[in-house]
Amino acid sequence: MSFVLGTSLLAVVTALACALPGAFVVLRKNSMLVEGVAHAVLPGIVVGYALTHDLNSPWLIIGAALAGLLVVLGNEWLIRTGLITGDAPQGLVFPALFAAGVIFITLDFSHVHLHTEVVLIGDLNLAAFHHLMVSGVSIGPRYLYVMLAVLAVNVAFIAVFYPKLKVTTFDNQFATVLGMRTGLLNTVFMFLVSVTIVTAFHAAGAILVISLIVVPAATAHLISHRLSVMLALTALFAILGAVGGFWIAYALNAATSASMAVFYGLVFIAVALIDRLATRVRRHRRSRVCQPAAGR
Amino acid sequence: MVPIACQARNVSVAYRADPVLRSVNVTVPVGSVMGIIGPNGSGKSTLIKAMLGLVKPLTGTSEFFGQPLDQVRHRVGYMPQSASVDWDFPTTVIDLVTMGTYGELGWIRRPGKAERARAMAAMEQTGIPELAYRQIGELSGGQRQRAFLARTLVQAPDLFFLDEPFQGIDAKSQQAMIDVLRDLVAQEKTCVIVHHHLATVRDYCDHVTLLNGHVVASGPADQAFTKENIRIAYEAREGAEAFLETAA
Repeated sequence: MSFVLGTSLLAVVTALACALPGAFVVLRKNSMLVEGVAHAVLPGIVVGYALTHDLNSPWLIIGAALAGLLVVLGNEWLIRTGLITGDAPQGLVFPALFAAGVIFITLDFSHVHLHTEVVLIGDLNLAAFHHLMVSGVSIGPRYLYVMLAVLAVNVAFIAVFYPKLKVTTFDNQFATVLGMRTGLLNTVFMFLVSVTIVTAFHAAGAILVISLIVVPAATAHLISHRLSVMLALTALFAILGAVGGFWIAYALNAATSASMAVFYGLVFIAVALIDRLATRVRRHRRSRVCQPAAGR
Repeated sequence: MVPIACQARNVSVAYRADPVLRSVNVTVPVGSVMGIIGPNGSGKSTLIKAMLGLVKPLTGTSEFFGQPLDQVRHRVGYMPQSASVDWDFPTTVIDLVTMGTYGELGWIRRPGKAERARAMAAMEQTGIPELAYRQIGELSGGQRQRAFLARTLVQAPDLFFLDEPFQGIDAKSQQAMIDVLRDLVAQEKTCVIVHHHLATVRDYCDHVTLLNGHVVASGPADQAFTKENIRIAYEAREGAEAFLETAA
């Protein structure tokens, strides 16, 4: 497989793996909590890397995802104690964990060679560097298959628990009275999001991964009246942004994840404007249809 | 003696350091419509939430048909305040109402034709079948309440907890709600209604619990919902004074 094809496929699969659970993150209004998770996985990644020397090791992924879950659980615990209110608990937990990760890196902890730039925005090209070879023929970047596995797990989870995810996202109290294990479902879901973040870290880093998770879903939310439609549109925007972003980066020789994030933002603005315009045209037409009737 | 639908025993709740409910005892007989009445912040919704396990009480227990909630969940329905959810959520009215059947589906099963037919029947009961395929954000305040009530009806519970069902509602929706309530009473179902409009309490409720952080009075409306008790519960607030004058 050629480098360009392999890397653009990797961009698409990474974008899809992040965006699909992102639809529920957006609807649950958890975007900033997930941003916190994306920062908090750093110490887990650094320690994991020091132990395994492989960013794609399953041990590293699960360990670092558990570190990310600390933000979710720590946040919930702090809210329950009532010591601080609003979203301040998030601000308390994740910077400490992120800072620990940065200190580990700057101390050159067990010779981890992670560049600050890679930590922040990832490097898709570097991530796609090692190709998987089958009898001497490249079948694409090794990392592509890791992301494909995460995408498959996310799709399976959403497909199996779709009704539960829907009702707990829309009305958690009602779901609790129905007898659903809402806390357990939320923890498992956030763990999967955390796993996705850790895996996508290599490609998108701690800062830009949030745009892969949030923006396609937020764009789809603008124009969707049904959850199934929103999920389909989220996938469409994720693919569009990944391909568009990849080729912009390729043409400009810029960072791929950053180009994807910018492209996502542009798509969001375009969809929002078109939606506004369409609403206005509809209203205008309706008032023109109504006017003669009113004049009679 | 009339059997008991639900009972709160010595329920106390605090949000952080602020006590909201102190040692609340309420008994709701089967077939009654119990109004939970009190001024803003008197803990009306909190009492329902504590009984249903949505808020952890500091002390006390609640029983439903003589058993803990977990044993009889299928017999208990809950309609939260409509302001508690995001009405921009991408879903249609029929999908929202169908959520009432999710409790019976187990972990994996999905709602099918039978569940959707039941949802449609419940929407007919509350008078909104023509809105089935609208996005929920397009509904008026009264239509939202009727959609929420339909979602509770579809569960076919024996005991209904309705949190402010008449809040922000138009005359037509109000009539639809009242008709449904009358039907429920005729079928010997039990309703617990959080309500704050004093003038209509006697129209809807045959039992009343007057609340103000603690129970001022609880029992049949003509014994509990007296001028003296209302005055104590509202600590002579303006709205209550006006009501008491017109009632006098």
